[in-house]
Amino acid sequence: MFAEGPANTVNYMIAGYTVFFTVMILYLTSLLVRYRNLKQDLDVLQEVEQRDEQ
Amino acid sequence: MEAKSRYLKILDAVTMVLFLISLWMVFFYAPLEKVMGAVQRVFYYHVGTAWVGMLGFAVAMIAGVAYLRTGSRKWDIVGLAAVEISLVFFLIAIIMGSIWARPIWNAWWTWDPRLTTATIVELVYAAYLLLRQGIEDPDRRARFGAVYAILGFVSVPLTFLSIRIFRTIHPVVIGNSDPTATGSFDMSSAMLQTFLFGLFTFSLIFVDLLWHRIRMGKLADKVELLRLKALE
Repeated sequence: MFAEGPANTVNYMIAGYTVFFTVMILYLTSLLVRYRNLKQDLDVLQEVEQRDEQ
Repeated sequence: MEAKSRYLKILDAVTMVLFLISLWMVFFYAPLEKVMGAVQRVFYYHVGTAWVGMLGFAVAMIAGVAYLRTGSRKWDIVGLAAVEISLVFFLIAIIMGSIWARPIWNAWWTWDPRLTTATIVELVYAAYLLLRQGIEDPDRRARFGAVYAILGFVSVPLTFLSIRIFRTIHPVVIGNSDPTATGSFDMSSAMLQTFLFGLFTFSLIFVDLLWHRIRMGKLADKVELLRLKALE
């Protein structure tokens, strides 16, 4: 390993960055989905509140 | 619900540009490490994600203190947002570290002091999220969250210092490694620039994500209050 130059560890590098991008994409998607669901909930609850006031 | 502010849109754009530059530096600017080869490039984001993890836990601890002093719900929202983001980044750091370790230590995992304390940190904050879900009263939940975030933070400096005070095979990036550490390397100036630029970029990613998560937290708070009102 030392005499022949750098070890061939490309696959591990690819695996590392695949994990990074996969988890980041999953988290960002979860943020978007949760935000959208909360907005829908808010609309429904505001509608119920207005109906109750009437 | 308030619209996305102009400043947040600018921050999104700047963060994205810096992230792309950082990626370019990692893969094309930083030289190939002479012994470890390509896997050493994992180092830049391994440390960057771990940094965001620790930064977020520190923010959660400060938000906890601020909540206990002021009783303002906004600090609970900040604390929860910081913990959630940090958990995700710390998990990435642990997995990337394990992948880096495989060709260098010849093992995916070892119960080394750094790896053990990092796992404890991840579990401590995962429990924070789980336990919060079990408390229905928002004020009680916020008080519990604040106290837990302050006490839980003890595990963070312990993890940071573990490679400096215990005998370990985990290398120290800045400072002298333990003689038994495996995977140390001398950083060239291009490597150091890539590393520091990555740390700065990850700090900005954290601020950007925190801002987004706080917006979501405010929305969740509003929904919860309306729901409780509807149930009365």
